[in-house]
Amino acid sequence: MSSILTYIAISDGKIKRSSLEVLSRSKAIADANGLDCDAVIIDANASTFTDSVQQYGASKIYVVEDPIFIQHRNTPLLSALSKVMEQSKPNVVAFASTEGTKDILGALAANQNAGVVADVSSFDVTGNGVLAKRPVMAAKIMGNVEVSGDTVLVSVRSGSYDLVESPASAEIINIDFSIEESDLKAKLREIISATGDTIDLNEAESIVAAGRGVKDEEAKNLISELASVLNAGIGASRALTEAGVYDPSLQIGQTGKVVSPQLYIAVGISGAIQHVAGMANSKVIVAINKDGDAPIFEVADYGIVGDLYKVLPPFIEELKKIKG
Amino acid sequence: MKFYVCIKMVPDVAAPFQIKDGELIMDADRMVLNAYDASAVEEALVLKEQHGGEVEVVCIGAAKASETIRKALAMGADKGTHITTSGDEGFDSGSYAAILSAFFKDKEYDILSLGKQSQDTDSGLTGSMVAQMLDLPYATNAVGLEIEDGKLIVKRQGDSGQEMIGLPTPCAVTCSNDMNEPRIPNLKGIMASKRKPIDTVELSSLELSEDELSPASKVTSYEHKPARQAGKKFEGEADEVAREVAQLLDTEANVL
Ligand SMILES: Cc1cc2nc3c(=O)[nH]c(=O)nc-3n(C[C@H](O)[C@H](O)[C@H](O)COP(=O)(O)OP(=O)(O)OC[C@H]3O[C@@H](n4cnc5c(N)ncnc54)[C@H](O)[C@@H]3O)c2cc1C
Ligand SMILES: Nc1ncnc2c1ncn2[C@@H]1O[C@H](COP(=O)(O)O)[C@@H](O)[C@H]1O
Repeated sequence: MSSILTYIAISDGKIKRSSLEVLSRSKAIADANGLDCDAVIIDANASTFTDSVQQYGASKIYVVEDPIFIQHRNTPLLSALSKVMEQSKPNVVAFASTEGTKDILGALAANQNAGVVADVSSFDVTGNGVLAKRPVMAAKIMGNVEVSGDTVLVSVRSGSYDLVESPASAEIINIDFSIEESDLKAKLREIISATGDTIDLNEAESIVAAGRGVKDEEAKNLISELASVLNAGIGASRALTEAGVYDPSLQIGQTGKVVSPQLYIAVGISGAIQHVAGMANSKVIVAINKDGDAPIFEVADYGIVGDLYKVLPPFIEELKKIKG
Repeated sequence: MKFYVCIKMVPDVAAPFQIKDGELIMDADRMVLNAYDASAVEEALVLKEQHGGEVEVVCIGAAKASETIRKALAMGADKGTHITTSGDEGFDSGSYAAILSAFFKDKEYDILSLGKQSQDTDSGLTGSMVAQMLDLPYATNAVGLEIEDGKLIVKRQGDSGQEMIGLPTPCAVTCSNDMNEPRIPNLKGIMASKRKPIDTVELSSLELSEDELSPASKVTSYEHKPARQAGKKFEGEADEVAREVAQLLDTEANVL
């Protein structure tokens, strides 16, 4: 019996939407290829999420529940995933490409002697592995990749697939798991939580992103006001996360997060390829920049050439009218 | 502290390129030291300056890759090892991880440092693969490193916040370029690098061959991304264009 297993990522007590996008894709692949569509949930409260996961068509749900998973730790996550893989013997294991996944994907592939391809924007299974498309060269072009192996791991960029509900009644399989804190060599000392805006950029419908042009409190306030009118998440270019103006977890781009909202408003961002790599898949892009030659205008649907201090107040005011 | 930093030569993503019949064609001279590896070298040098020790860089690649080793030596690394390959073997992260772990198997070190990803492929797999193969505790996506009581303290960027992790040595870590600004080699560094040793290691001496390292993943072709429709640019009186675009987001783009 062959199967595709999807890892359901839990973060801050919620299922990451991107992992349900991946499960939706896995279900479609499973149906088209006569595979079982299974899921695995690894969390301190894993069993509370099985009902939601059933809505997306998983026929078996492996549940690993242990307090150690309250925080992301690579060693316990690796051993839990290895244990589930050894029991379920999947042909393909699919993940949403979160920082948590990136932390363990290579190690899991080495541990399970599996083929692996990371950060794809689409994938399918073939007779002997996986075919995937992934952005390369700072996301300027796409590479078609063929991965062979009895088991192949694949991680998928958020926003690559739509959510498709397909309610099923799943068999729940609880996996025995325990690990002693004292057996872990890597010690988690502290979590420095992101401050301020808590909208998950991977799930945000709209994002307002600030760049070096956002120089002072006045400009920051305009960014916050714009974001609040649109109920948008706030993102930033590296110039501003590096300068400590915005929290590092808000960085969008090649080093930071890859996002694909319906609306992306880039304010005072030049549009370096490494930034564009993280936002080019947004549905509608608005750029506000005083330099008419800034490369951000090459990817913008609506480009406003102007000073953000002059453009944002009437822009916000008009949006308030429309919204109100 | 003995640091090994794994460095890779990668195509400059800013260089012009063409795609012809699915093949990526670019100037073979536009190769650079992977930006994330440059940050890993920089951080090792800073820690060495603070705590003493030695920084050795290791690079797998064809003859030309020795240029990146020279660059790291000019930044201040003490010595380099060049593991040579033919250059047209199409290795993936798994192949490189297998070579690196064969090389490090019988080496002594405290900290094995890698880049968090290759800037041309963004794979981000080699680091944790090597850690697993060598059974080392590890952390990825480090944005800050410190040494405290012989332990490596890693600040890593997680999904929503940052995690501080203490790793006993020997350990492995993958570095983000968000941790520092790599130094630009000065003339003195460049001159000094010419006298620093580079060891050359053949795959056969690691009991490996290019055939058995054949990659599980292969890029079969490259293609252009569907181009974004060229948008409209609004120039003129700020108040007017701002209001016009806001209206269009509602009536035309339908995203409000
Ligand atoms: C390996 C690597 C990875 C990287 N990863 C990332 C990443 O993940 N994310 C990222 O963002 N960058 C990344 N970078 C950095 C990237 O190359 C750029 O340096 C960075 O994106 C620049 O940020 P910026 O556009 O805010 O600043 P700048 O390039 O300085 O642009 C500022 C813009 O603001 C405009 N401006 C100034 N004042 C005003 C005003 N009053 N009104 C309107 N416009 C104004 C200017 O015209 C200018 O276009 C990476 C670089 C490397 C080498
Ligand atoms: N050919 C190589 N030589 C030395 N180190 C390498 C090589 N390939 C990958 N690495 C290391 O692995 C990291 C990138 O991994 P990946 O993104 O999987 O290609 C790099 O930043 C290097 O530290």
